[in-house]
Amino acid sequence: MRSLERLTLAHLWTGFVAFAIACLLGVWQMWVRSPLTAPLSTPDRYYQSVTAHGVSMAYLLTTFFVMGFGYYVAETSLARPLPGKRWAWIAYGLGLTGGLIAAIPILLNQATVLYTFYPPLTGSALFYLGLVLVVVASWIWCAQMLVAMAQWKRSHPGQAVPLAMFGTTANAVMWLWTTVGVAVEVLFLILPAAVGLTETIDVGLSRTLFSWTLHAIVYFWLIPAYIAFYTMAPEEAGGRLYSDTMGRLTFVLFLVYSLPVGMHHLFMDPEHSTGFKFLQMTLTVLVAVPTFLTVFTISASMEIAGRLRGGKGLFGWIATLPWERPMVLATGLAFFMLWFGGGGGLINMSFGMNAMVHNTSWVTAHFHLIFGGTVVIMYFAIAYTIWPKLTGWQSPNISLQRLQIWLWAIGMMVMTLPWHYLGLQGQWRRVATFDYSNPLITPWGKWVVVSLIGGVILLISAALFIYNLVAMHRQPARKASSLQRYAQSLHTPASIPASLNGFRLWNVLVLVLMILAYGYPIAQFFLNPAPAAVVHRVD
Amino acid sequence: MATHSDKFGYYIFTGVLALVALAIFLGFLLLPVIQGAQAGLDTWSAICRSLGIQAGSPAQPTPPVQSAAKPVSEVVWNTAVMRGLNAANKELGAQLAQDICTACHGQTGISPDPQYPHLSGQSAFAIYKQLHDYRSGVRQHDLMSPVAKTLTDEQIIALANHYATLTRGTLDRQLEVEADPRIDHLVRTGDTARGIPGCQSCHGIGAGGPVETPTLSGQYRQYLAAQLSNYAAGRRRNDVFSRMRGIASKLSEEEIRLVSGFYAEQ
Repeated sequence: MRSLERLTLAHLWTGFVAFAIACLLGVWQMWVRSPLTAPLSTPDRYYQSVTAHGVSMAYLLTTFFVMGFGYYVAETSLARPLPGKRWAWIAYGLGLTGGLIAAIPILLNQATVLYTFYPPLTGSALFYLGLVLVVVASWIWCAQMLVAMAQWKRSHPGQAVPLAMFGTTANAVMWLWTTVGVAVEVLFLILPAAVGLTETIDVGLSRTLFSWTLHAIVYFWLIPAYIAFYTMAPEEAGGRLYSDTMGRLTFVLFLVYSLPVGMHHLFMDPEHSTGFKFLQMTLTVLVAVPTFLTVFTISASMEIAGRLRGGKGLFGWIATLPWERPMVLATGLAFFMLWFGGGGGLINMSFGMNAMVHNTSWVTAHFHLIFGGTVVIMYFAIAYTIWPKLTGWQSPNISLQRLQIWLWAIGMMVMTLPWHYLGLQGQWRRVATFDYSNPLITPWGKWVVVSLIGGVILLISAALFIYNLVAMHRQPARKASSLQRYAQSLHTPASIPASLNGFRLWNVLVLVLMILAYGYPIAQFFLNPAPAAVVHRVD
Repeated sequence: MATHSDKFGYYIFTGVLALVALAIFLGFLLLPVIQGAQAGLDTWSAICRSLGIQAGSPAQPTPPVQSAAKPVSEVVWNTAVMRGLNAANKELGAQLAQDICTACHGQTGISPDPQYPHLSGQSAFAIYKQLHDYRSGVRQHDLMSPVAKTLTDEQIIALANHYATLTRGTLDRQLEVEADPRIDHLVRTGDTARGIPGCQSCHGIGAGGPVETPTLSGQYRQYLAAQLSNYAAGRRRNDVFSRMRGIASKLSEEEIRLVSGFYAEQ
């Protein structure tokens, strides 16, 4: 096995182990919230489990997946060795060590503050230190992606960076911007409190800094899925990418629109004025632009593939697509779920409607549907596509991969649709147990059980996913080609605008937007300091 | 595929900024002025409020309430108090304890009489809160109220520190399992149907309950049962947000007896 394969597999396996553990915890949490009696259920353990679930899914699965996939894309799309591979292993070691260090206080119930921290709650310093190491590891990855792209551009002057690498580097640039918020929060506000240097914490400032990170982090998780949409799905479907330029524009717009929008998580917070909330809401609406560009481009790309395979009529091309291929199937299901998740997101980001769903199960259901339904299902598809190239062995049974993806989509819909409904009924989030004997909420019980059934289906799917991956490490499987092909565009343009081949202009735009959107809202905490909250230790 | 320099990026750049300008016009000018006028705000105030440089809601002042609010407790938790509790005058605390407290609470804070609580190892925050409440009169006791009224803030802090180990949220991590599963469940999980949170939700280590939450482990059964009964009957009412009154009033006498016994034996 070559070093790239070892590196990619190490990252992806680490992420998927964290994912499997998180799935198990997630089902138990849904069980605790249901009217059925769950084993080992205490409120204390519930919040401990929610913390472990959130950290595993949001920080470990995603960061290790993005890093591992990024290394793979850098080497295969640029067709040259990854620069500084030793640094990649150092970053992996740092990230893994950080994850394990953070896990200790979580297991000891000394960091039950959920993955979004919620100051003035303050857990063990080890928890935050561990997470800082994970972020530092990802920064090393960002530097490597930037260097890899810069070196390629130097040796290919005037040429366009391959789209897969352009998207990966856009993610790295975005992640460097994204992590500034949480890094400042943890290093200057939370860690000093956790080690006892400060006795109070400015909750408003902490929440504002976290909001800086909180929306863009979602796009950090999502961009690998979009890279797969643009560069892998059309290839797997046997077609062409409808527009390469549209892909570049999408990645650039994600970079621009993901950052100055985080205040839509703070619509109900008192520390910001309505004007800035309105401004950030408007910018949030614009995130719909790259989403619709993608839906259009990928649908068009799939139509090309379907028609090449003999599809006729207005919708006949859909039936002729090779749905038996996991990447095509996952793309179709991801788009299907994106309509529901995206629609829910439009409600969340609307200043007025947010008031109705804020702090209800609606929001929890929304982010599970977007994350599980669009992001993670594409992580599966990417894994199924690149695993044979990494291990050298084909899957012995591709129908199990399809089954797994179907189970995931069905489980996600069964889990999240009733969950959304419960949110509209007023079911509050971040609550461990409900009194289902209360006639006001008795009718909720059956829908929570339906959600739990969805969760069980997801757990079965997750277990099958791990089984499917392991099966591609075994000798009896068929030999696979190690060549990774990325989709070619239908009409390769003679040249593309230089602004879509780099990030200098877009970094300037992000800076301008961040100053406009976050400048005064952050400055106000220093111009007119609010009373700080006394640190509330939970370790 | 080659690249060429053109104005494409700048068009997008300018377009985005134009949209931002529109959002600024709507968010900081048009909407606040129109909506502010409906709420009786002048134009300038409405704009200042949308920027966050003038205090916000309510647009109309709330009519003043005639009756003066009486707080459940006058204790204010701030860093000065908490720092004081961590670094109190040890000699003063020991001397005061010797002079005032030992008769009822014992030489070492181990009370000889089950109607008086043990103080040894009790949370300093809990002792501070209760002495302060006795002094302000929101908690009353024939012996404690007159004693507390003679104490200064510094003395209360010194006494609290003297008896405390300065731990907070102080249940033993490993509670012994209670023979009666109903009580075990009540302590660890509570009873959702009656709106009772588990005792450990506040009294457990790291549970995130109020700072003044006292240690219960090893306390006299009679003392605990008496306090729960007082809360239930409204005779004791210095619990902020009626937390303990709300819980105790829903417990049966049998449960009060058993829960008190459970903690006494820890």
